[in-house]
Amino acid sequence: MAAGVITVNRDTKPGLWPVMLGMGLVFSNMIKTMFGKELATIQFPEQKRPTSSRYRGIHVLTQREDGTPKCVACYMCATVCPAECIFIEAGERPEKDIEKYPTRFEIDLLRCVYCGFCVDACPEEAIVMSRENDLVGTTRAELIIDRDRLMDRGKLMEYGAGYRPSDHDVRRPVRIAALERLKREHGIVPGMPEPRSGGGRPAPR
Amino acid sequence: MSETVRATIDGKAIEVPKGTTVIQAAAQIGIDIPRFCYHEDLPIDGNCRMCLVEVEKMPKLQIACNTQVTEGMVVHTESDKAKQAHRTTLEFLLVNHPIDCPVCDQAGECYLQDQYMDVGLHDSKVEPEEKVHKRKVVDLGPIMLDAERCVLCSRCLRFEEHVTGTNSFEFRNRGDHTQIATFEDRPITHNYAWNLADVCPVGALLSHDFRFKMRVWFLEPTDSVCPGCSTGCNIHVDHRDEEVHRLRPRRNVEVNKSWMCDIGRVEYKEIALDTRVTAARVRRGAGWEETTVATALDLVTEKILAAPRASAFLATPQATNEDVYMFRLLSERAGGMLDFRVGNPQERTQVREDNVLLRADRNPNTTGCVDQGIGRSGVDAILKACASEAVKVLVLQGAELLADPGVAAAAAKVPFVAVMASHEHPELAKAHCVLPAAVWAEVDGTFTNYQRRVQRIKRAVAPPGAAVPRWELAAGLVARLGEPIALSSARDVFALIARDVKVYSGLDHRLVGATGRALGGPAAAEARV
Repeated sequence: MAAGVITVNRDTKPGLWPVMLGMGLVFSNMIKTMFGKELATIQFPEQKRPTSSRYRGIHVLTQREDGTPKCVACYMCATVCPAECIFIEAGERPEKDIEKYPTRFEIDLLRCVYCGFCVDACPEEAIVMSRENDLVGTTRAELIIDRDRLMDRGKLMEYGAGYRPSDHDVRRPVRIAALERLKREHGIVPGMPEPRSGGGRPAPR
Repeated sequence: MSETVRATIDGKAIEVPKGTTVIQAAAQIGIDIPRFCYHEDLPIDGNCRMCLVEVEKMPKLQIACNTQVTEGMVVHTESDKAKQAHRTTLEFLLVNHPIDCPVCDQAGECYLQDQYMDVGLHDSKVEPEEKVHKRKVVDLGPIMLDAERCVLCSRCLRFEEHVTGTNSFEFRNRGDHTQIATFEDRPITHNYAWNLADVCPVGALLSHDFRFKMRVWFLEPTDSVCPGCSTGCNIHVDHRDEEVHRLRPRRNVEVNKSWMCDIGRVEYKEIALDTRVTAARVRRGAGWEETTVATALDLVTEKILAAPRASAFLATPQATNEDVYMFRLLSERAGGMLDFRVGNPQERTQVREDNVLLRADRNPNTTGCVDQGIGRSGVDAILKACASEAVKVLVLQGAELLADPGVAAAAAKVPFVAVMASHEHPELAKAHCVLPAAVWAEVDGTFTNYQRRVQRIKRAVAPPGAAVPRWELAAGLVARLGEPIALSSARDVFALIARDVKVYSGLDHRLVGATGRALGGPAAAEARV
């Protein structure tokens, strides 16, 4: 007989028992969903599934006390963004101590992969994430959200704050675990980077 | 050959002319010694102390920028002692440096950032509140001054003293309160202000024009040559997503050293104007009809063939050698008159506008036109023939030629005027066919500067719409007049120039190289900048 061919014996009847087992599962689930308390189904959108405080939902631009964006338009988020979905246009603030701020800050939520790198890269805690995750629009342009909508905390924070750099309770254990794994598996203790050998710098202008 | 000395730098043997400094010798073998105050084209000052290197048998570390290589010298630039010195020097420089990198335009091309990543003391001993604060956002006209970011290297002072001779900057106050300033905060008024932003190794002096426009790490540089005047300064064209964001000088000791003028630096603004000609169009009665380039070329060919030996061609010294060559070939095939000296730029090629770089002839390729023998029929003769209606077809290589009132008046008398235009021009209303042309940043080619130095320009961005290089337009017409020539690139055209024009013989785009090739002839003997 050729290899890989399975011979099935069709002569034996399975009987009633497997059918009973299957039906038992169906009916127990039916009774659980009809009368039980722990239901898998939720009544979306009135009801929402609980998410963790590290949930990476729609971005939020944080504000200073005077309501202007904390963002200084350094383009770190746009640089690190793997989806290239962040568009920034910098302008000059009249106050000399801050100098720079975004006159335009747009995120294409259809391109965004919600990786949270922008939050990690931000030196000013100007961009954090909310737990808002239902994204509805009738056109693509509608889902490129601008600076003012990103600053609308009331709406975006309805379901609580998501991934953000200041949340030490959330991030510390994760970071410590990562550092421990790095030491255990690779013997690396991060600290000062190794000095690069000569010739690494581009030629001076 | 002058006397040479032999030395060892980081284990590599090197032989250099006597008088070479350690930093220059190291650069020759690809070792980059950290520096702030040293600049290749400025006098040595030795104030920043960043370039300390260990020299065997010398008790103390020496500054590489002002120590001459001597016979048998053994230098270590990467030893622990040298590295420790770099770290300590950098620590001092950063004591009062603000934490401005997110808002500073220099970020990404900042010497402080680079050195910090190499040898920085990553845990600062200074609290931000303890730092000495200095003046920020001081508007000096084309330049923005931030005294807090300054490392007091005095490059700007030396540039002002030795290159422009204007001495605008001074050091003010003493100790850690020292800062650079101009007298009474007067703006920088000379024509080389944006070089200050280039020589500044940190973000203390920044260009007002480039301020907050783009982060430098997004930009991709393409080597090219400034089209602003007959000097032909070597430049980097910094672009991103088919848009040019700035021009920056590229070092060429023979032409522009490390500098370029502000007039040349704003040339990039012309490229993306919405007045660009993006499609071919032909006149239909009183109005225009947009068409394809091929159809427009067919029409021009038809007109040229219908008027044998009654055509005239005016070339422009704004065009590359390749454009000019194909244009000349076109005029020869059509049997028409040819010249380029509208407004007579040739006489002004050698005239200096100032004593640094700028020249009175604002065309990058006048010498190239002369070399190729374009000045043949005489502009006056052509214009007279046009006025007497002897010319039936006039082909202009640039819309700017119509800015000359003589040409505009003569063109009005010609039954068919075709113009290769990159930008819209009010006088284009006099034309009967407009062909969309690419500008210098969108083409490959060569310019020949006033020294008769042939230099490469490279395509940095794509031309808008249907615009094509002028040599392609001319080649299209040549092909339609019979006897097409197989050409696929500007390099192929240059091969024809090398074949037909004596001074260019044996040359090729690759041989011209990054910094150009000086050709023989009277202009080459002219004093250099």
